[in-house]
Amino acid sequence: MDAPPPPVSEPTFLDPHELIENSQPAPRTGGLWYVVGGFFFVVMISAYAGNQSPELQTAVRLLGGVTMIGLLMAMSVFTWITVGRQREEQRRLESLEELVQLRRWPEAAMMLQELLSKPTRSPQARVQGLVYLTVVLARYHRYADTITVQEHLLDNIDMDPGTQYALQLGRAMSMLQQDHLVDANQAIRDLHRVENSGESAGLALIEIYRDVKTGHPGEAIEMFDSKLALLRKQLGHRVADAWALVAKAYDMVGREESARQAYMNATLLAPIAEISRKYSEVASLTGKYQPAIAPAE
Amino acid sequence: MLSSASAISIFRRDMLLGTLLRIVMLAAATACMAMNFLPTARSTDGTLLLLGVGMLWLALSYRSVKSQRLAAESTSLIATGQLEEAERQIEEALGSFSLFRATKMLTLHHLALLRHAQKRWQDAADLSRVLLKQRLGTIQSLARPNRLLLADSLLELNDVHGAYLALADLYRERLSLGEATNLLLIQLDYESRLGSWETMLPRGAAYKRVQLTELMPAASSARAQAFLALAAKKSGRDDWADWLRARAELLADPLTLMKDRPVLSELWPAKT
Repeated sequence: MDAPPPPVSEPTFLDPHELIENSQPAPRTGGLWYVVGGFFFVVMISAYAGNQSPELQTAVRLLGGVTMIGLLMAMSVFTWITVGRQREEQRRLESLEELVQLRRWPEAAMMLQELLSKPTRSPQARVQGLVYLTVVLARYHRYADTITVQEHLLDNIDMDPGTQYALQLGRAMSMLQQDHLVDANQAIRDLHRVENSGESAGLALIEIYRDVKTGHPGEAIEMFDSKLALLRKQLGHRVADAWALVAKAYDMVGREESARQAYMNATLLAPIAEISRKYSEVASLTGKYQPAIAPAE
Repeated sequence: MLSSASAISIFRRDMLLGTLLRIVMLAAATACMAMNFLPTARSTDGTLLLLGVGMLWLALSYRSVKSQRLAAESTSLIATGQLEEAERQIEEALGSFSLFRATKMLTLHHLALLRHAQKRWQDAADLSRVLLKQRLGTIQSLARPNRLLLADSLLELNDVHGAYLALADLYRERLSLGEATNLLLIQLDYESRLGSWETMLPRGAAYKRVQLTELMPAASSARAQAFLALAAKKSGRDDWADWLRARAELLADPLTLMKDRPVLSELWPAKT
């Protein structure tokens, strides 16, 4: 009797470890150096043969010339193919960015799975893909996986300060969502040490969320009032998140009129379902306060 | 600060120089190859000479890449408002030699972006026009943002017809999401000057436009929604006007909006 086949584990969709591993760019084959080496080889052979046997000089030079033309043509074809592939990858990254902006999450997830399941053409494309992966994973509330990717990027990749700061902000937010409050506090302290962090609306939003989550509504309201201009300028429509969180803070301290107005402002800018999906704490306000109603088409 | 006339003159000179140098080097390379096939040139090794030409090409390419990097860094400086540093980098990139046309054209595009950010509309328009007259080749994708920049600068200069001409070609092209949002803002500005209120907020497709404004940065989104609110008011759609105006107020100070576009004062009569 045949033994039953071993259980096959179901492949995980958007498995961060797998995608981090598989997306490592393949080492360069050094095709250019082979061509340069070939070039030098032809030059040396040509010079040597010419000196050794003047009778063969013409034949050797002819052969050298033909080889050189062949090498140049090979290099041109190789460059053309490589550039074409890199452009295709760049186009896919641009499409991904648009899908994320348009909040078309299932399509973005599918595209990321495909892009990062095999070696990317360049390290920059991999980093960009992994950054988008953190956004998509957070959208699906897979915060532990989000933190895994963010920590991989922060620990292993040398990034520009702006991207690094944005990733640190994202990680702190994911930690809060995961209720890892000690880690989140440490992450917020680290963010405060970065130059000009006082001018970061992202950091202000995270602190408002922390204060609402940990039952410090007074501090959340104070932070919101002092940073409103910054939040508005830097977050654009995402300032709805801050309005919703401050509505919750007002509600917690019993300032219902302010809560009502803040809730109205939040729902003017974004649908309440979208905000509640991000911050479960805000869901309790649904039904208690009237949301803004968009006019009919 | 480099004037647009000087920048254009340097750009044209370097483009010509680069083209001449490329032709000379290509001719030299061909001559070197030919030496191996011509019995009359036995005393000289063409392959060795070709190696020399190749080395020179590599050295000049390296310089060009350095110049390209300088210009590329300037975009993030402009985006973060470090305009003086961006000015310095672009001037350096424009002054350094580049073998490739694309590098020079990118540098000029970045200078146009910088002038736009500095609100020097005439300079931005002049630079964009020069760039659009070039054969862009591998950087053809630069044409669309450049057209948008030209249209916006011309609107700021109150040249509505010029803006129309700059925008016209864009409707035939497939735009990226970022370009589509930029186009929408410029189009709303343009249509408000023509008084095409119904076109600005088309019935049955109003939400599509509003959703696109949500993807813009705060200041642009506020202005776009204020334009839409004005269009709604002029078309007698008061519910839309109130809703859009309230959204615009949450994203930017109405006084700033009215200062930049006085036509929007109709939305906030009490504040004028």
